[in-house]
Amino acid sequence: MNEALNILTRGFVRENPVTKMLLGLCPVLAVTTSAINGLGMGLATTFVLLGSNVVISLTAKAIPDTVRIPSFVLVIATFVTIVDLLIKAYSPELNQALGIFIPLIVVNCMILGRAEAFASRSGIWYSMIDAIGMGLGFTLALLVLSAFREILGSGTIFNIPLVGEDVNTILVFALPPGAFAGLGLIIAGLNALEKKKGGK
Amino acid sequence: MRPIITLTLVGLIAASLLAIVDDMTRNPIALAKAEMKRKAIEQIFPFAIDSLKQVETEKTKFYEAYDKTGTLKGIAVESATTLGYSGKIEILLGVSPAKKIFDYKVVYHLETPGLGDKIDKPRFKEQFRERALEGTTWKVKKDGGDIDELTAATISSRAVTDAVERGLRYINEQYPKHEGK
Amino acid sequence: MPELLLVIVSAVFVNNVVFARFLGICPYLGVSKNLDTAIGMGFAVTFVMTVSTALTYILQKTVLIPFGIEFMQTVMFILVIASLVQLVEIVLKKVSKSLYSSLGIYLPLITTNCAILGMALIAIQEDYDLLTSVVFAFFSAMGFILAIVMFAGIRMKLEEADVPAPFKNVPVGFISAAILSLAFMGFSGLVK
Repeated sequence: MNEALNILTRGFVRENPVTKMLLGLCPVLAVTTSAINGLGMGLATTFVLLGSNVVISLTAKAIPDTVRIPSFVLVIATFVTIVDLLIKAYSPELNQALGIFIPLIVVNCMILGRAEAFASRSGIWYSMIDAIGMGLGFTLALLVLSAFREILGSGTIFNIPLVGEDVNTILVFALPPGAFAGLGLIIAGLNALEKKKGGK
Repeated sequence: MRPIITLTLVGLIAASLLAIVDDMTRNPIALAKAEMKRKAIEQIFPFAIDSLKQVETEKTKFYEAYDKTGTLKGIAVESATTLGYSGKIEILLGVSPAKKIFDYKVVYHLETPGLGDKIDKPRFKEQFRERALEGTTWKVKKDGGDIDELTAATISSRAVTDAVERGLRYINEQYPKHEGK
Repeated sequence: MPELLLVIVSAVFVNNVVFARFLGICPYLGVSKNLDTAIGMGFAVTFVMTVSTALTYILQKTVLIPFGIEFMQTVMFILVIASLVQLVEIVLKKVSKSLYSSLGIYLPLITTNCAILGMALIAIQEDYDLLTSVVFAFFSAMGFILAIVMFAGIRMKLEEADVPAPFKNVPVGFISAAILSLAFMGFSGLVK
């Protein structure tokens, strides 16, 4: 059980796919203009990761090495298309906000990375836990960055205004440079915290 | 041979699975699209809509909104301009049968967040209410017109003014008989 | 013709793949440690991006739309890109050893470069014709090279700079990218 707990929680902070491994950064930077978008993207990615991890851990032994990567990519692309269609059908607003970044989940290197490094070598149970842990870690990173940018850039959180309409917010955080700077600041903050912890 | 067979098999399974999901979601997606349009139209009209009638012409689409008694209460029109700061702006403009503006909604834009995107804020939109094609100079104040431009977003303001004017012209062409009612 | 010019200016500067569209960030951070690898990667990306956008465009118009199977778009496009990359690798190995040794190592990385799939999808979304799509893809790749080369130059300087400990390596890279992106925002409004 300890092993399972370890696999589950390592994706949260210790081996966070975004802040530690720097994987899947394109959606992280692009869709984090508002907390709701960040959350939606995180959960969509988690779903794809879970689906592909399960299927790949079940079928990896039957797939010859030469076509391993193409097969994995096919599996991932299938799950991405399913998510794409579901979001279009049941959350058109989210579809509009995330746009092209939904199909681009296919090339999120985090997903192929987990398939290669973990799911293809582990049982279905651990692969599922790994997908949930990594997926939630990814969602957490997106949520923190998008909340940070939404509060500073637009003065709202989950579209709820925190300041009056007259207050000038720090616009740059809602714009592309804010994505780079925000992520840089968050990683630097985590580094500083880690150092403090390690020093004691 | 085995790799090719495996890959073909994976591809076939993927394709059939997707065909099923596509079939299942086709209707909900069409419904969701219609629902979104209806919601947008409801937002620009200050009354309850009972039914909508869509009229398509070469240039644009019109939506006639009727109340319970079947009286025409408002007309919405899709209008667009390419004069935006970062390109195209699309709006949905709602007018009364007397062709006075109720409100509009920006459907698509790429204007700068926090500056140009204020074109969709009530404070800016308010000044268009009750205006008609005639009796208004459809330019921003800086250019000698009647529309107050947004600070630091004159280009976006000009663009919206252009889109609204276009929308009103479309309506005039399509519904000439409602003139002066 | 002016329309094509607008597409070019937009692809290179205004809607730069890296700084405005946030595509291809992984290789942007990964191979920008020195100038030579950055340029090598840039050319490999240019080739694959241009050819794959043309191929996916033809695929979309001649297969996906006529047969009503647009839902296979993501799957087919990524397959086209992956096979193209594989093909280029094989051909390069046979034809030119020197070119293979300089570009070869970047090729597998390109499959998961989201800028490639991204450009293919955007070209379809924007309803470009074939010529415009190809021009758009090629100059987007130029924009990518511009970004990656500029950043590689900055990173080589940063190596020697005295950066506060928590900001070392990655965070300071992001902060520099933020400043570059801010500079690129100056181009917005250039294309009407």
